[in-house]
Amino acid sequence: MFMNSNLFEPGKSKPERNFVQLAVKQNQRFDGRRSNECRDVELTFGADWGTVAVSLGETKVLTHVTCDLGAPTTSRPNEGKLQLNVNLGGVAFLDEVQSTHDQRSLTLNSLLERTFRSSRCVDLESLCVAAEQHVWCIRVDINVLNHDGNLYDASTIATLAALMHFRRPDVTFADDELRIYTEKEREFIPLLFLHYPVSVTYCIFKSSGQPIVDPLLLEENAADSVIVLSFNSYQELCTLNAGGTAPTNVRTIMQCARNAATRAKSLVDFIRKALSLDEERRLQGGRLVQGLVALIGENQQKLSFRKLMGHQKQEPQDLQSEKMDVDTKAIAKPRVEEMAVEEESSKQETDAPLDSSSWLPQDEDSQKLPTPSEASASKAGKGKQNRSKSKANKKQQAKKQNNSDSEEEAKPVI
Amino acid sequence: MNLPGKMDVGKDKLRQMNCEFNPLSRCDGSVMYSQGATVVIAAVLGPIEVKTQNLSIDGSYLECNYRPKAGLPQVKERIREAAIRDVLELALLAEAHPRSKMSVQVQELEDRGSIDACAVNSACLAMLVGGLPLKYSFAAVHCIINEQGEYVLDPDQSETLHQRASFTFAFDSVEGNLLLVQTKGAFKIAQFNDIECLCRAASAEIFQFYRNQVAKYHGRSEAIAEKEEDASMET
Repeated sequence: MFMNSNLFEPGKSKPERNFVQLAVKQNQRFDGRRSNECRDVELTFGADWGTVAVSLGETKVLTHVTCDLGAPTTSRPNEGKLQLNVNLGGVAFLDEVQSTHDQRSLTLNSLLERTFRSSRCVDLESLCVAAEQHVWCIRVDINVLNHDGNLYDASTIATLAALMHFRRPDVTFADDELRIYTEKEREFIPLLFLHYPVSVTYCIFKSSGQPIVDPLLLEENAADSVIVLSFNSYQELCTLNAGGTAPTNVRTIMQCARNAATRAKSLVDFIRKALSLDEERRLQGGRLVQGLVALIGENQQKLSFRKLMGHQKQEPQDLQSEKMDVDTKAIAKPRVEEMAVEEESSKQETDAPLDSSSWLPQDEDSQKLPTPSEASASKAGKGKQNRSKSKANKKQQAKKQNNSDSEEEAKPVI
Repeated sequence: MNLPGKMDVGKDKLRQMNCEFNPLSRCDGSVMYSQGATVVIAAVLGPIEVKTQNLSIDGSYLECNYRPKAGLPQVKERIREAAIRDVLELALLAEAHPRSKMSVQVQELEDRGSIDACAVNSACLAMLVGGLPLKYSFAAVHCIINEQGEYVLDPDQSETLHQRASFTFAFDSVEGNLLLVQTKGAFKIAQFNDIECLCRAASAEIFQFYRNQVAKYHGRSEAIAEKEEDASMET
C-alpha cells in the first residue's frame, strides 16, 4: 500500500538516474543553472547570540550554539571543547528510512567534525578558564529543517556563521570561585578563530566530464560520486571527501579545488558582511532585531548572498568574471597540458605503444613497474603520459595541507 | 536583548500572529508560525506506512514529536509533546485511515513566551494545510497572572519571570469545548473562570486568523473571507 522506501529519495530509481545523466550530458540542470553556478544563500540571525538559519534554495538548516562550563579532558587540560551535534530527524523527515538516515548522518557528522574540529578553526585554548579545572564547552546543534541537496554546504555555512555570531559571557576565576558575568555587567565575548573553513560540494557523473556544483537532491542522489572540499578564507584545503563510483581525473579535482577556493573565500566574506549588518541592526535596537520571525515571508532581514555581494560596487560582476577567469584558466590549462602531453606521447610513440587501454592490463601482468607508488598510480587508471603530472598535483595538494595550521590534517597525508 | 516586548500590545490582546504555509518541500504540509517573537515550525506527513508494533486496525496511529532548538528533548519538552499529542488525538479523525500512521513534527525555532500554545496552534495549521482529516480545528491560548495580580494574555518571556500562575487552554472550533487545561501556580477558582473566558474570547481571534490565512493561501482574498464571515454572523 505504501512505498516509504522511495518516497523521500528522488533520484534513486533507474529512470530518474538515466534522465539526470542525460541532462548533465547536455549541460542542462533542473533549475536552469549552469554547471558552475551556485544557488543563492540566505542567512537569518536569531534574537539570541549564536542562532542562525541558513537556506540554500530549498535546503534549510537551523544552527544554535550554546556554551557551558565543564572540566577539560586529561589529554588536553588547557583547551576548551567543541561539540558538534547533527539532528536529521524532525521536520525534515529524513529518519523515515533508517538505512539512508544512518549513512547520511554519519557522513555529515564526520565532514563537520573534520571541517571544524580537526582543522582547529576555533582557538580552543582561549576557552580555558583554569587549566585542568574549568573550560568552556561549546556545543553546536545543527537542526536540518529541509533537505533539497547539498546538506554539507548548508550545514558548514550555518555552523561557521553561528560560531562567528556566538558570544559567550565573561568569566573570572579567583580564590577557587567562578564568577560568570551577565550581559549587563560585562559585554559578551565572541569566539576567537584561527581560520574560517567552508565547504563546497561537487557532483561527478560518468556521462560528462564537467562536475556540477551545489547539487539538488535529485542530482546528488543520481550522481556517481560526490566531492566535498572545505577551504578556509586563506584558500587552504581543510577537508577533502571524495567518494562514489565514478573514476575521477586529478585534473577535474584540481579544477574543482580551484573554484571551491574562490567560492569559499567569497562565502566567508559574505558571512562577515552579514554579521556586520546584523551588528548594526542590534546597535540600533528596537524593532529592527526581529529574530527568526524574519523567516516568515519576504523580508529585509534575510541576508541574501546575491544581494549583499551585489551592493558592494558591482563586486559580483568582478567576482563572476574572476570566477570565470579561474574557470577558463582551469579549463584552458589542462588543455595546454594535454597538448603538451600529446606531443610528448607522439614522440614516445616510436618506442612504445601508448594507447593506455591496450597497455594498462599488460603492464600489470608483466609487472614492469618497480616502485609500489607507481603501481598504485597505474591501478588508479592513469596513463603513463600523465603520471608524472598527477604526482606533481598530489605533491601540490600535500603542500597545501602542510601550509595550513592543522597538524592533525597534515599528518595523515605525509 | 532589547527585543520589542509586549509593550505595543495591550495586556488583554494576543501578540501579532504570522504564518507561512509550506516552507518545507519534503512533507505533506508544513507551516512556520509565529506569535510575537516566538517562532515554531510544524510539519505533517500522512497517511504513511506504520510499523507493525504500532499498527491499529480501527484507526491511524499518531506520532508526535517536539524538538527543542538545542540539545535532546528533556522532561519539559516531553510534557509539551504529550500535550500536543493529547489535543491532536482528540481532534484527529483517526477512523479515516486505518493501518496507517500520521506523523506530526514540531520544531522550536525561538522561544519568547507561550511556546506551548504556539506549538499546538502550529500543529493545527499544519494538519489543515496538509489535508489530514480533523473533526474540528483547535486553538490554544496562554495566559498568566502577574505579580500585581493582573491577567496578561499571551505574555512575552520577559513578562513571565515573576508570574503567580500560568494557564494554557485549548478549545475546539465547533462547540468551543475545552480540549486542554494546563495550570501552574496558585490561584482562586474565580480567577480560573475569568481567565477561561478571556482565553475563549481570544481563541475566536485565532480561529479567524486560521480562516484568513487558509483562505489567502488557497487563493481567496482576505476581504472576501471577512465579508462572508460578516454575512454568516448576520444571518
